Amino acid sequence: MPEAEAIRLAQQGDAEAFERLYRLHNRRVYSLCLRMVGNTAEAEDLTQEAFLQLFRKISTFRGESAFSTWLHRLSVNVVLMRLRKKSAAETSLEEVTEPDEDSGGPRRDFGAPDLRLSGSIDRLNLQRAVDQLPPGYKSVFVLHDVQGYEHNEIAEIMGCSIGNSKSQLHKARMRLRELLHEALRQQARDERKAAGNAIGGKD
Amino acid sequence: MATISCKVFPNYLEFGLEGQRHPDAQAHLRDCPRCRALLEDLTSIQASAKDWGAAEVEPPAHLWTSLRTQLVEEGLIRDEQLAPQRRQKWFQGWFVLPRPILAVAYLAALIGVAFALSGPVNERINRQRWLDGLQSSTTPVRDHLARVEQNTTLSPLLDSNPTVTASLHDNLAIVDNHIALCEKSVREEPENELARDYLFDAYREKADLLAQLSDRGGYGR
Amino acid sequence: MSTIFPVPSLSKRKALALFALGFLLLCASPAFAHQLEKHFKVQPRSVITIHNPNGKVVVKAWTKSEVMVVANHVSDKVEVDAQQTENRVDLVTHQLADSISPDELRADYEVTVPEDAELQIHDDSGDVSVFNVLGDMNVETVAAGVDLEDAAGYLTVKTVGGAFQCIRCAGQLEVSSISGSFRLLDLRSYHVRAETSTGNIRFDGEFLPNGIYRLKNYSGIIEVRFSPSDSFDLHARSVRGKVNNQAKLTPPAHPNQPVSKYGNTLLGTFNAGRARVELSSFDGTINILKRD
Repeated sequence: MPEAEAIRLAQQGDAEAFERLYRLHNRRVYSLCLRMVGNTAEAEDLTQEAFLQLFRKISTFRGESAFSTWLHRLSVNVVLMRLRKKSAAETSLEEVTEPDEDSGGPRRDFGAPDLRLSGSIDRLNLQRAVDQLPPGYKSVFVLHDVQGYEHNEIAEIMGCSIGNSKSQLHKARMRLRELLHEALRQQARDERKAAGNAIGGKD
Repeated sequence: MATISCKVFPNYLEFGLEGQRHPDAQAHLRDCPRCRALLEDLTSIQASAKDWGAAEVEPPAHLWTSLRTQLVEEGLIRDEQLAPQRRQKWFQGWFVLPRPILAVAYLAALIGVAFALSGPVNERINRQRWLDGLQSSTTPVRDHLARVEQNTTLSPLLDSNPTVTASLHDNLAIVDNHIALCEKSVREEPENELARDYLFDAYREKADLLAQLSDRGGYGR
Repeated sequence: MSTIFPVPSLSKRKALALFALGFLLLCASPAFAHQLEKHFKVQPRSVITIHNPNGKVVVKAWTKSEVMVVANHVSDKVEVDAQQTENRVDLVTHQLADSISPDELRADYEVTVPEDAELQIHDDSGDVSVFNVLGDMNVETVAAGVDLEDAAGYLTVKTVGGAFQCIRCAGQLEVSSISGSFRLLDLRSYHVRAETSTGNIRFDGEFLPNGIYRLKNYSGIIEVRFSPSDSFDLHARSVRGKVNNQAKLTPPAHPNQPVSKYGNTLLGTFNAGRARVELSSFDGTINILKRD
């Protein structure tokens, strides 16, 4: 059943049409939720919530924009609302600032030449680092770099400008770099400690 | 050309990693290992994220069951639909056409392959290798676009606006014509990187147009 | 002397004249049966989105922290919806009937926004005009022409066949089309990227120091105007077409891409080469001309 037909039938309450729409989009929505929240239980909950909202509002969809864009916008809003409820302070795409952006102090670790990320980023480290990003950065990074959306789509989904989306993505990547470097340094420290303990144990 | 500092260099990347191609940025990178490291790291992050995203995760089966129950409770699914529950045939899910935007992503990947096969023009290049390399990257793109085109229909919404319909069709014909001319040019001069650029631009334009048609019209017949 | 037809008094003549004028104006204006007018209070950097399948969209700026929407449509087969969510205003034209003609589908918008508003406009056919808005904007059309004047920010425009005009704009500009032509006049943008397949591109603006100007088409004409005081590195190439140049160039002062042995390439530096100009065509003509 083509998507347009499924939408039309779902608007009339057809069960098979609902299922068709769910099957067409469930993987993408679930993947998005999982990457944004980092755990399966919450991702399932959010996926269900996103589709529920979609099906409740489906009668208002008139085809003005792509159905998938509409759905993903809804999904991102559902996730963002959950993340904002969890975090101590509400943050919006605009409000997130780096700690010393305004102070102008020496902030950026321009990269110690002896510590490269290339070849060292595994999925688990990346997920952990992404989990530490503020919601706005996380959304843009997951949508663009992970899910493969273009900036014009992200602008429509997030309700921001394309320039804003690009700028936030850059900041997200810079922050991730810092987090991943820290994770690598911690790993190196743990390895040295483990090696030290092993030698001490032998003695 | 201005000399820039390490503090300023990241600003060149603010609107995309392609900002590194600015002459000022390039000049700085030549002399600055730290910023080279920064750029490599950002590129690695982008690549790792892409790999991560390549695998879409299937949600557990109970999710649909739970959702369906909720839809029934809320009366969004009509009662008469509940009794004859037709199960989706096992093979039906396989005929979901990829989103046209995936055609663009696929195209971008193949463009990457094509450029990977390319080399500086001033190297000694085997003409047959060029032709073989080009065909191996363009043939799947052409075939994929042809498949997407066959299965793209216009929605009733679009059909009510003949100006728009005509414009999309006319421009599709323009792009097809460009593709034909560029392919001919590339066959005659496989080492001509500008002709190759134009060919891949034309493929991308076609994928964009098909994506627009599809987003309006849905998939399949 | 009495007459058969009484001559109306002066005040009555005035009234008649006003009535006739009003009648003529009514006939001249489109017969819009439905009008929506709404006002929304917004914070700085509000976002306004417009989804309209057919009709004119005009966006102007004012200094108030308010968005004013006036939408007109003829038929009751469409409905205009204007909603606010926090700092975002969404304007959508909904089609209510499956069978509808283009005239019935038409809705015209006039939207007045704060100067710093960000815009996202989708209008398939019918023209889009934006005046004096300084926030970022994204405009996408199929057949509609786009006209931006005195705009700034990050401007992205995409049309399929619609023409594009950008006058006295600043910031960054990216525009792409398949058959639309572009007129880029009096620009003060530091980054311009304009790509069209069969359209013409006319650029007559400033080349800012460290600015990048990339103009590309498949066929058609690319015309760039320069003044004696401008300063740029030039890289112009055409696979099959010609490159005509009036600028007195010196050998390239800055690193460049390798020169292809195919097609016609012109490489050089004008004055100190502070900006970068890249012009590319497959089959068309590239003209680099002195400003009059």
